[in-house]
Amino acid sequence: MQTFFQIVLNGLMLGGIFAIISVGLTLIFGIVKVVNFAHGEFLMVGMYATWLLTTKMGLHPYVTVAGVVPLLFLLGVLTQRFLIQPLMAARDDHVQIFATVGLSTALMNLALMVFGADIANTPAHGLRAPIEAGPVRMLTGQLWILVAAVALVIGLRAFLARTNTGRAIRAVAQNRAAAKLMGINVDAIYMLTFGIGAACVGLGSALIAPLYPTSPTIGTYFVLTAFVVVVLGGLGSITGAFAGAMVIGLLDALSGFYIGSDVREAVVFGVFLLILILRPSGLFGTRAVLAHVS
Amino acid sequence: MTDSSLPASRIARAEAAASRRTTWGAWGLVAVLAALLIVPLAIDDAFVTHVFVTICLFAGLSTAWNIVGGYAGQLSLGHSIFYGIGGYVGVILMSHGISPWVGMFAGAAVAAVVAVVISWPCFRLHGPFFALATIAFLEVFRVLALHFRDLTGGATGLMIPLKIGWEWMVFREKWPALLIAFGMLLVCLAVAWAIRSRRLGFYLVATRERESAAKAAGVRTVRVRLMAVAASAALTAMLGTFHAMYLTFIEPAAMFSLQNSIQIAMFALIGGIGTVFGPLLGAVLLVPISELARGALGAQAIGLHGFVYGAVLMGVVLFMPNGIMGVLDRLLHPERAVKPGETEAVAARPAAATRPPIGDEVMRVEGLQKHFGGLHVTNDVGFTLREGEILGVIGPNGAGKTTVFNMISGFLKPDGGRVLLRGPDGGWQEPSSPADFASLGLGRTFQIVQPFAAMTVEENIMVGAFWRHGEVKAAREAAREVAHAMGLAPYLHSEARGLTIGGLKRLEVARVMAMQPKILLLDEVMAGINQTDVRRAIDLMKSIRDTGVSIVAIEHVMQAVMSLSDRVIVINSGRIIAQGPPQEVVRDPQVIEAYLGKEFSHAQA
Repeated sequence: MQTFFQIVLNGLMLGGIFAIISVGLTLIFGIVKVVNFAHGEFLMVGMYATWLLTTKMGLHPYVTVAGVVPLLFLLGVLTQRFLIQPLMAARDDHVQIFATVGLSTALMNLALMVFGADIANTPAHGLRAPIEAGPVRMLTGQLWILVAAVALVIGLRAFLARTNTGRAIRAVAQNRAAAKLMGINVDAIYMLTFGIGAACVGLGSALIAPLYPTSPTIGTYFVLTAFVVVVLGGLGSITGAFAGAMVIGLLDALSGFYIGSDVREAVVFGVFLLILILRPSGLFGTRAVLAHVS
Repeated sequence: MTDSSLPASRIARAEAAASRRTTWGAWGLVAVLAALLIVPLAIDDAFVTHVFVTICLFAGLSTAWNIVGGYAGQLSLGHSIFYGIGGYVGVILMSHGISPWVGMFAGAAVAAVVAVVISWPCFRLHGPFFALATIAFLEVFRVLALHFRDLTGGATGLMIPLKIGWEWMVFREKWPALLIAFGMLLVCLAVAWAIRSRRLGFYLVATRERESAAKAAGVRTVRVRLMAVAASAALTAMLGTFHAMYLTFIEPAAMFSLQNSIQIAMFALIGGIGTVFGPLLGAVLLVPISELARGALGAQAIGLHGFVYGAVLMGVVLFMPNGIMGVLDRLLHPERAVKPGETEAVAARPAAATRPPIGDEVMRVEGLQKHFGGLHVTNDVGFTLREGEILGVIGPNGAGKTTVFNMISGFLKPDGGRVLLRGPDGGWQEPSSPADFASLGLGRTFQIVQPFAAMTVEENIMVGAFWRHGEVKAAREAAREVAHAMGLAPYLHSEARGLTIGGLKRLEVARVMAMQPKILLLDEVMAGINQTDVRRAIDLMKSIRDTGVSIVAIEHVMQAVMSLSDRVIVINSGRIIAQGPPQEVVRDPQVIEAYLGKEFSHAQA
């Protein structure tokens, strides 16, 4: 029984990591309507930035948030302005997909050129120390990630619901043309949203770096699961992404232990395919009526 | 009517010029292909030969991918699945003493079956979701290949048995591998070209551009895409078998690699997605970068070629979305753009002196019901249509006319009631899918025009003409005839996206006329066109009717409704409120009320 509780706790901790990565992805998808295939590389960039700041300047990983989050925000804004915005009018889906796939490939290989294929370990500063909670244990850093993910979800929801900027963002997501007619600067809103989405993963990268070794391909490792989480939670839904992250975290931990660690990815992606095919609006979303015939 | 000899001669000249340029293109292609074979044989250096083998391999993979990703527009990022299947089937069979020449076809068969099974449920996903699903399938295959160690060797991989010679496809020298890779590239190009230039290719592109319009033209959209996926997967698997023999060692991470999948798609995009020879160009230009970076610069340049690939991909997407072929095409075919100010009138045949009598019933609609959530959009709609009759359907906006149209053409399933069409044997049939309706001779247009934007006007009409003519040549001739009749002849070689709204409406009718339907459903074909064109369209519809075609027309242009309709039905709030001869219906107080409100009908009374 103790093992079971430990595995469930591991699953929730893993869910926290998936959540903090997925929130930005789902925000960008929900508002800008672009699937950002380079999201994992944003995470990778943030983790390298954290690694550099901690090793070269001796900062505590959590202090680097002050630098990494603005950096990622800027990266997001620039991506939207110079890569996505010129393609917003494109009729074919493949154009936007390839744009972010290209960015992903370029960033990953740039990291390979600059940092090499070796892994980079961010100093843990005690964040890998276990916390005993009765019969089960977790890492200090994992707990903070879960706390941060919850805070991020609550904060983003409040921002979107309560502030004028948040309302403008939602208006643009609902109807771009109408929002424009209401005097909203749609292009600026898209840049802001992409920036916020990237900043979210920036926060995640500073928290994750002390726990996972950084490498050029770390993004791919996490982002495929983040896609699963986002689709599971219903595209564009922030709370859905959080719930989806918990489900996938638990699924990953439980199948890894009870079925075999080498097939847990197959289980996760199998569930993903079932959801995608049977319930494309996600587990928690309501099915949209798709009237494709005029 | 304008003088038709002038545009005709101009078209002839343009076609002659186009064919001259096509000849140039053909010579360019031959030169590229010849260089792929001759350069490495002449230089006779192991590394150079290796680079050219890799070029041929990726050009072949990319060409095969393009059948699905380009023609069918289904953006697969999981094509390594089929490459990996080909590799593993080939190696496993070889270790049982079966030649890879046989294993190649076994792998192709397995890959084709797998492709159909995994694509069929995924076809309802579009754009990024299809791409994500293919990535997920790829991950599943990679994990499974790692898991089933007994079969695949797991993470340690599989080494091919040491057997050398042509029958084992393994050689000490590099040149036989080059010959095989080159030959397989030719096969891929030939298959891709054959698909693109035949009916299947037209159907694939039409489905990609507008799925509903393709269905209305009788295309079985799922079936044609499955055929494309199967062909593409089979070719990819065959290349996978060859490459496994060439590498002599395979492992899951390399065979089921996402990076490889992305590269394959990338070459096609950079060369020109959806074109026959674009993927070849993309591979020829980009593969040497990676191989030279790997071979010449070695460890110093780790990541360099990937960075260049990513940067080139972003640049191409931003500045030349149609790839290299798109740029060449613009240089070679300037006449594709529509020149303004050239219109040709609709050349309606004069109405027959005596109109043939209205015949037997050809369509029966009984008690149709449809709900959208809580909204009862169609409530007990029923009517009949006779041979050679024109039935006008009018009603205020939002009355549910188009919903009825969608149900009587198979695009929407009614919640209740049924639609019967007279079959060729004279018996009644109850079709269900749009293609079934089309096969019983029903054609429709869409209120919001649905051109296949990336195709020329001629190709648009040909998609309809293929319903009667299997051969490209016959379909082209039929399409030209219809185009002349519809006044679209000057635009035959222009892309449909450049037409004016009037032109698009005519194209919509032309495409369905090319199917030679027995029943024609026209959804507001006269909305938004000018007075002269309305009069011409009325003459045209009369001449169509006089050939025995029955027409159901939703129309707001009252001039047309009054002069054309033999009968009119009026739909309001989902139900039929009046029907009968047009003159009577428009005086019906209920109809006036529906259109103009109670106060107006009181005032009139």
